[in-house]
Amino acid sequence: MSVFILPAFLIFLIIFSLVKRVKVYDCFLGGAKDSLSLVKSIFPYVAAIFVCIELFRASGAADKLADLLAKPLSFLGIPKEITQLMMLVPLSGGGAIALLEDIIARYGVDSYIARCAACVSGASETVFYISAVYLSACKAKKLGYAIPVSLFCTLLGTVTACLLCKFM
Amino acid sequence: MNVLFSTLLLVSLTAMLIFAPAEAFPTMIAGVQSAITLSLKLLAIYAVWLSALKMMQATGLDKKLSRLLRPVIKRLFKGESEDAYDNISVNLSANMLGMGGVATPAGIRAMTAMQDGSPKATHNMILLIVINATSIQLVPATVIALRAAAGSADASNIFFPTLIATSVSTFSGMIICKVLSLKKDKRSDKNGALALRFEHKKSDFCKYISKMRRAK
Repeated sequence: MSVFILPAFLIFLIIFSLVKRVKVYDCFLGGAKDSLSLVKSIFPYVAAIFVCIELFRASGAADKLADLLAKPLSFLGIPKEITQLMMLVPLSGGGAIALLEDIIARYGVDSYIARCAACVSGASETVFYISAVYLSACKAKKLGYAIPVSLFCTLLGTVTACLLCKFM
Repeated sequence: MNVLFSTLLLVSLTAMLIFAPAEAFPTMIAGVQSAITLSLKLLAIYAVWLSALKMMQATGLDKKLSRLLRPVIKRLFKGESEDAYDNISVNLSANMLGMGGVATPAGIRAMTAMQDGSPKATHNMILLIVINATSIQLVPATVIALRAAAGSADASNIFFPTLIATSVSTFSGMIICKVLSLKKDKRSDKNGALALRFEHKKSDFCKYISKMRRAK
């Protein structure tokens, strides 16, 4: 069923654009142009996090930390391999995508771990980045309970994702 | 992020110095290499997805969606100005579609419209942050595209699990925020609440005046 969603959505969009007399070709050109600048702006973050991840893993420190956290988290049904991703997601979106790519390459794209990782990174956001950027133009800098609540709810979402991937 | 990055690098480099000193530099280079490969992949994904978003903007479909959200937003964020409602609805609908580029500026504008002048974020501001931070994306386009690029048999079969997971996190976030804001309101003294109400009226008045000026 879900295979049809994206193509159907695109067909609907193109027909709708034709009805509204929007130039589809020009839209595509604009999108491709924007993608270049978007990738240019996120590349430094991706490069930094990749260097960090590679070193962290090659040194064996990552395994130790994941081992430490794996036990309490496995009670919640979160596999050990997802723990690293969970730690990264609130910090960096580009980094999470990088790690997801790595997990896919390692475990095979349709494995339970890779699907779980895809759900986790699809269902969470860069908590710290968002709260920093959104308040950047405000006088108010004290966040109150915003970050703990966001992190806790992200954890809830992760548990749900891991559970659902077993059945769906 | 700076502190985290430095600590991570220091810890791993020290560990490498002890166990495998020859590996350290090649590992870092390999890291950047995979960053380049991924960026090229992302470039391809964004090129397709952003053009679809361009079409949505050009046809006004994104505005229609934000109008649909309006009644819900008015319920959730009580007692804000029209300007704030406008920006919140653009922010949330853009986020649902995965248009971070549109969502962020609207979110910043909504925040400035909602602030009450004190250094503490108001309950509504925190609510908006939590909703954004728990991700309300309807179509995880990047993730699906990455799975497709890796040769998945059914790249979009994570669609429903992701949607349910993200709804769980967002709704629980909203509920917790509402509960916490009720509790804190009870605790705060009457004078404080009165002063706050007065501030609200004052800022409403100021907004009204500036709107009149702009209209002239």
